[in-house]
Amino acid sequence: MSHCPALTVRLEQATPCPLDVAFDVPHGAVLAIFGASGSGKTTLLRAIAGLHRPASARITCGAATWDDTSAGVRVPPHQRRVGYVPQDYALFPHLDVREHVAIALAHVPSADRRARVDALLALAHLDGLGERRPNALSGGQRQRVALARALARDPAVLLLDEPFAALDGELRESLRRELVSLQQATGVATVLVTHDCDDVARLATHVVVLAGGRVATSGTVEELACSNALAAHSPRWDPAAVYDARVLGHDPERQLTRVGHRGLEFEIPIVAASIDETVRLRIPARSVVLAVRRPEGLSLHNAIAATVIEIQPAAHAALRIVRLGAGDARLLALVTADAVSNLRLETGRPVQALVKSVAIDAWLPGLGA
Amino acid sequence: MLRLLVAVALCACASVPRAEPLVAAASDLQFALEEIVAEYRRESGRDVRVSYGSSGNFTRQIAQGAPYELFLSADEAYVEQLVARKLTRGTGARYSTGRLALYAPMGSPLGRPPGLDVLGERARAGVLGRFAIANPEHAPYGRAAAETLRHLGLWDAVRPRLVIGENAAQAARYASGGDAEGGLVALSLALGPELAARGTHTVIPESWHAPLHQRMVLLANASPEAEQFYRYVLGPESRAVLARRGFQLPAD
Amino acid sequence: MDWTALRLSLELALATVVLLLPLAFLLARWLAYGRPRARGLVESLVALPLILPPTVVGYYLLTAFGRGSPLGRAFEGMAGHPLVFSFEGLLLASVLVNLPFAVQPMQNALAAVPEGVRDAARCCGLGPLDVVRRIELPLALPGIATAAVLTFAHTLGEFGVVLMVGGSIPGETRTVAIAIYDRVQAFDDRGAGILALVLLVVSVAALWATNALARRASGRP
Repeated sequence: MSHCPALTVRLEQATPCPLDVAFDVPHGAVLAIFGASGSGKTTLLRAIAGLHRPASARITCGAATWDDTSAGVRVPPHQRRVGYVPQDYALFPHLDVREHVAIALAHVPSADRRARVDALLALAHLDGLGERRPNALSGGQRQRVALARALARDPAVLLLDEPFAALDGELRESLRRELVSLQQATGVATVLVTHDCDDVARLATHVVVLAGGRVATSGTVEELACSNALAAHSPRWDPAAVYDARVLGHDPERQLTRVGHRGLEFEIPIVAASIDETVRLRIPARSVVLAVRRPEGLSLHNAIAATVIEIQPAAHAALRIVRLGAGDARLLALVTADAVSNLRLETGRPVQALVKSVAIDAWLPGLGA
Repeated sequence: MLRLLVAVALCACASVPRAEPLVAAASDLQFALEEIVAEYRRESGRDVRVSYGSSGNFTRQIAQGAPYELFLSADEAYVEQLVARKLTRGTGARYSTGRLALYAPMGSPLGRPPGLDVLGERARAGVLGRFAIANPEHAPYGRAAAETLRHLGLWDAVRPRLVIGENAAQAARYASGGDAEGGLVALSLALGPELAARGTHTVIPESWHAPLHQRMVLLANASPEAEQFYRYVLGPESRAVLARRGFQLPAD
Repeated sequence: MDWTALRLSLELALATVVLLLPLAFLLARWLAYGRPRARGLVESLVALPLILPPTVVGYYLLTAFGRGSPLGRAFEGMAGHPLVFSFEGLLLASVLVNLPFAVQPMQNALAAVPEGVRDAARCCGLGPLDVVRRIELPLALPGIATAAVLTFAHTLGEFGVVLMVGGSIPGETRTVAIAIYDRVQAFDDRGAGILALVLLVVSVAALWATNALARRASGRP
């Protein structure tokens, strides 16, 4: 695993919207650029694609320098190995689906093009739609075409601008799964601009929070979720612990699956996953109950011995976020200030974190496709 | 750049000299010259291309390089201008003298044939309708018409009622169209089939205006075919046509 | 029926379209996609022939490439005959006078291509020329076709400028429009009527074609 990032971005400008950012995208990562609308996220993405020329920038991709204003280097978009999916997909009205994919295959010898087109259409679940024009496609189909077109370039970096914003809930979910499958299949570093918390919770491996044009905080999604840093920058973020756990085993008799992460183990209702498969867990803080001793006679399956690390204020004045540590793993619990004082919770106090198995959101890209 | 190349290519095509000579003729020659050209075609098997218009206009165009080879002006002064600018081959020859006529369409209050006294009365009484002449500034027949009106002391009275034709032919059209009461037109045109069918005319005495000596001249780029036609116009058949069609022939 | 005049009119119209369209496309593209500060000025200049009387245009053209002008002299030196009163002079005048008819439809069509689509094309690996060839041209095609038809039809009917710059030289500059005028002055109403009818039929056909193209462009059958 290379320590050299897939993409490094350093950018500064005052107009048209102020930006002052510096971040790296590791290989194979899905980096979510998270922030409110209008915070310059789209401009940032366009700058990475080469469509926007910032006042001062240094953008490198692997060994190639795409932008270096101090050295006068600027590689035009068509020479950058970048796949770009804009917010409204920007499909070509006069081309059908096959032609959309084919147009980005200039780097492939023409003898192989047809096969490549077929492969990409299959990958993006667009079989049978090859001869259709954009105006004969549904929203979800259009999104897939845009994605297939972007991937056809064999990009070093995939850029997505609010890819699911125009779609409704169920479609969003299924397309998220497809995106994760695609991304894991191709392993391409992805930069995803979004203001949607579910996108971050489901898709991101890394997050950069943009506020006022600056990087407010950045890190892996686990770090930022479990430290509750995301809630500080987005009121819509529902505090939760987010991690990629591994499936440890199934118990068909009890219809339960065991998943584990950093030594923590949880029992969740059985899922159709193979052993060792990765499952994205989200444990909402509001679903975690704290107890001073391990209870008996309760329906819940998960009681975790943890230590209080920190007590933070929460969105509501009467509530508190309690950050818990269990070994290397972290959890969050949302409780009333009253409970904090009743239980005499303070840093270092050992507690039991009780999590209902049904409250754990376990998300598999393969599920429900 | 491409445009230049195409233009040059087109030039190359256009520069191929055409067989038929280009003739600029004063518009009073409309009917007479058509007959002469028809005769010429029959006799020699050759054709000419004729453009009709006002002599003043043609003079300007020729000075600006219009590719005419032979110019039949309705006024010698225009030919002299071209000679002075060294645009001609020689000084040309007088081929006729034109006459002016007062023309009135059928039903015009000016009478059948139209009377100059009637014209004067109506003009002075302020009841004269539209009255057509050619443009005095560049059409010889217009100049002559203006001189005639001044001679009759009617210029100020008639001027507000004037309809100005760009050349003698257009003036004749206006005069015969029915919207005008009449006009001062070239005699050769008043004798033509169209005007003769629609109205009547009275010839204006020569002494009332400067003579309309009509001179023709070969231009500097004239081809041998143009020269041939030039000589034909001065020949007996053409003279006969001119005489029949309302022109006075020069004494020689 | 003056076939020479008709041939001349058609040649002039066709030559104008062939010469003007590529130039107008470049200009239209610059106006649609560039953000030049001089844009307002250029657009006004391009639109001038729409509102200026043809005689004003003719006057300035005569001044610009008449015999005394540098352009006129250069041309005469090369071609052996003056630019005015020649087909080439007419062609040059026609190209200038038809600028708005060619530029405006194309500019509108190009501007209607969403910027996002052109951006996406560049991100697909298409260099600038490929973006023009494979995205802009196909999408702007109805506008280009409209420009061609309008230019063609307008050139057929052009009178004032043709008369001033070209005179009425048979076989050289006497187009159908001029020939009609000429026939009327020659008291040949029948000849004028025939020519006028021919021009009317061609113009109606051109307008019908433009409307059909516009309908197709907006997606209606």
